[in-house]
Amino acid sequence: MREDVIAFLYAEARLADEARYAEWLALWTDDAVYWVPATTDPEADPQRHLSHIYDNRARLETRVKLLQTGARYSQEPASRMRRLISNVEVQESGHGEVVAGSNFILAEQSVQAAHELHWWAGRTTHRLRRVGGEWRMSGKTVVLVNAAEPLPNLTFLI
Amino acid sequence: MREAPPPVDYKSLVRDDRIHASLYTDPRIFSDELERIFHRGWVFVGHDSEIPRGGDFVTRHIGVEPIVLVRGKDGEVAVLVNRCRHRGTMVCAAERGSARTFTCPYHGWSYDLDGTLLGVPYPGGYDGFDKSSHGLARASRVSSYRGFIFASLAGSGPSLAEHLGPATRLIDRSCDLSPQGEIELSAGWVKHRCAANWKMLPENDSDGYHLGFVHRAMFMTIRSQYQRVVGDERSIQAVVRDWGHGHIEIDWSPGYQGPFEWFGGAAGPAVAEFVAALERRDGVETARRRIVEGPAHALIFPNLFLGETNIAIVQPLRVDACVHWHTPMFLKGVPEFNGRLLRMAEAGMGPASFLMPEDLTVAARNQLGLGARTVEWLLLARGLNRETVDAEGHTVSHVTDETTNRGFWRHYRTVMTDA
Repeated sequence: MREDVIAFLYAEARLADEARYAEWLALWTDDAVYWVPATTDPEADPQRHLSHIYDNRARLETRVKLLQTGARYSQEPASRMRRLISNVEVQESGHGEVVAGSNFILAEQSVQAAHELHWWAGRTTHRLRRVGGEWRMSGKTVVLVNAAEPLPNLTFLI
Repeated sequence: MREAPPPVDYKSLVRDDRIHASLYTDPRIFSDELERIFHRGWVFVGHDSEIPRGGDFVTRHIGVEPIVLVRGKDGEVAVLVNRCRHRGTMVCAAERGSARTFTCPYHGWSYDLDGTLLGVPYPGGYDGFDKSSHGLARASRVSSYRGFIFASLAGSGPSLAEHLGPATRLIDRSCDLSPQGEIELSAGWVKHRCAANWKMLPENDSDGYHLGFVHRAMFMTIRSQYQRVVGDERSIQAVVRDWGHGHIEIDWSPGYQGPFEWFGGAAGPAVAEFVAALERRDGVETARRRIVEGPAHALIFPNLFLGETNIAIVQPLRVDACVHWHTPMFLKGVPEFNGRLLRMAEAGMGPASFLMPEDLTVAARNQLGLGARTVEWLLLARGLNRETVDAEGHTVSHVTDETTNRGFWRHYRTVMTDA
């Protein structure tokens, strides 16, 4: 199972890196929660504290649709990206779900205004379950090491 | 020895119908702005609700000057310059917290919450050292309006009331939406880095012309309250308004027909109770006007943006870099709205939102374009042919007109050329 989960994380990362929006969206379940807190505080509560992203399925679809219009100028053209995933820890959490923690480093070459290389890093927690034999994400939380700092545009798929 | 360059001639750079590109690119001008706009003038530094108890503090900037906004044990608010009087160390590194004293990590000098120097370790190394004249520097003037705290590093100049003038009504418009008449900033701030001169942000925040273009992706994707400001020029009813002293507004309300259009609609028992509370306080007619008009969309010169359901701060960093801060504007007495206000804040502003990333991308592209030397001027004339003056003497025009930009720059010119 661990190997399956790691394969999923790599595949998801590649779709995000390559701006394959529709395929990436298809990895999510209907009860999706996509959370990027604006703080590294483990006590952060998305119902009380402002987040960078706190998407349910509907807002996730809007996020992807924006990127697909060709007029989302902060990602038009899309940044060139590659991310490395490591330190994977997989736990079964009952109800057939798996929780996978992993670290990442992402090199993002922004090309929409000044061409700058941005480095992003953090820890991701995926909540995964099998739907029709395939792994799907019901939750993804990305805690950036610099979540509380001034950030450049974060409109690619993190 | 080279002679010092002559002072910048702001009157020639800021004209009524155009402005010079160097205003966004010249480091000398940026330095003048820190002195004349951010140090001499009134600058928004925080809100009462961020430091509710004695000892509570947040660290911020006035221009690029690091400051601590702190509430003393007696409830008085002070703005301290975050720099030890001994060797210049930044005394307080935390973004927020609660303190009894501030102690410098370098040699242990300690200061009271009002900046008074309390202790100097190993005092034998000084003869007749006067502690009373070595407290943390303080903003000479701190004043607030309905919980919005402003500071000025200059001992004299116009009062906050004079600086705000009639623009207090913009702040009223937002606060009066709360049945308790108060807003609350308790969700934390998101900071968005912008690779452009700081003035691009207040100018863009009050520009009604760009919406259908910069935010085309959003208009293609979701319906929003801004839908009625794109399309045929003559059918758009929203206006821009110049309140004087650099305070400028986009007023969407002439385009709103019913309650809560600014909120994307609202219904249910909690909303009914909210409206009833406003009616009890203000009467049916005024309450209805408030929920139809919604909160202000306005820039309080130079750095506070009343961004409808958000409060935002513009922080200058360098001539070509700034930070846009935002937090949702919670309405006291309506906790049921906070959840939605949070989600609206995430949709509207911040690096991952659906609106601001496009604004900041274009701002960064402005900065790159302004690096061109062949063309020197930016146009500022849009709408000069159709401005009108409203009953209260404020200049008003079509929402796509540069009345707001001109209001900003007119005050800028005054501030930058005043003796």
